[in-house]
Amino acid sequence: MGLIERTPLASIQPVKFLLNWGRKYSLWVMNFGLACCAIELIATSTSKHDFIRLGVIPVAHGPRQADLLVVAGTVTDKMAPALKRVYDQIPDPKYTISFGSCSNCGGPYWDSYSVTKGVDQIIPVDVYVPGCPPRPEALLHGIIKLQEKIAHEDIREKWSGKLTGAPARS
Amino acid sequence: MESSPGPLPAAELTERLRARFGQDLLESSDALDQAVVRIAPDRYLDLIRTLRDDGDFACDFLDFVSAVDRGDDGFDVVVQLWSTTRRHQVRVMVAAGKDEPRLPSIADLYPGANWHERETWELFGIDFEGHPQLVKLLLPEQFEGFPLRKDFALTTRLAKPWPGEETTGEGPE
Ligand code: SF4
Repeated sequence: MGLIERTPLASIQPVKFLLNWGRKYSLWVMNFGLACCAIELIATSTSKHDFIRLGVIPVAHGPRQADLLVVAGTVTDKMAPALKRVYDQIPDPKYTISFGSCSNCGGPYWDSYSVTKGVDQIIPVDVYVPGCPPRPEALLHGIIKLQEKIAHEDIREKWSGKLTGAPARS
Repeated sequence: MESSPGPLPAAELTERLRARFGQDLLESSDALDQAVVRIAPDRYLDLIRTLRDDGDFACDFLDFVSAVDRGDDGFDVVVQLWSTTRRHQVRVMVAAGKDEPRLPSIADLYPGANWHERETWELFGIDFEGHPQLVKLLLPEQFEGFPLRKDFALTTRLAKPWPGEETTGEGPE
């Protein structure tokens, strides 16, 4: 909301490229780990898989510093308002990765009385990573997919906060 | 450290309970050398108090409170007690009734029972009389119904029936 949104500068191709390039390699991640999948997310952040080499910085001290929200695990209807609140506190532009079957669609708890059947009922999702749990490589793939998406997006639209974007699949 | 008497074998433990409760001890068995007793509902509090205070049993730790939906036979509440000094455990089963299941609360005897009874109340709809704060613990405020009852309808399953074979069996024998 501001300069970038108002100026036509951002639509000039080299400027657009540069800004998108900058942003896709500096994703400060907010870890919303809820169940088993959270362990895989943590594994991705540690030295063996090391998603810092893709420019993803673990872990934001709070949602207000974050760019990327990774929902890893089982969201319940009781937890859903808290998740929405965290999402709302992240400043635009923001991205979401839904990591694991549970947050994609309820996963093994598809018929449960308490589990939210897909986090996309509450917040917009950019990339879905399937698996129960997905391996760390799958999250790395998901991050690369997200970066491809960021590289092609219209920054003025994105910064307006109105864009939710068509989801990509990894 | 002062040495305490060792664990009571399940048969011996049941025997001593039978001596105190007689006919009110409706059933007893042992499962993996652990005493399982069923008590008449009106002696439930007496039994829990005896297990806690009597030196023979010295059950000073409450493991859990839960329930079983036995369909037409109503609800059973299950209380698991453990003695940290004697290192034995007892499982207490008690019938809570069918249509409006209720039992006295043991939250004043074991503070640890407080949340377990709240959980059992919200999931099975068993009213624990005298509980200091019987409000929802795990379910969202607006949730209606008691999801662990057998007659609770899972809405997702109405839209899409269970794809495989039922694995739950035919209910209690
Ligand atoms: S998708 Fe599987 S591994 Fe991930 S949180 Fe759900 S049950 Fe656990």
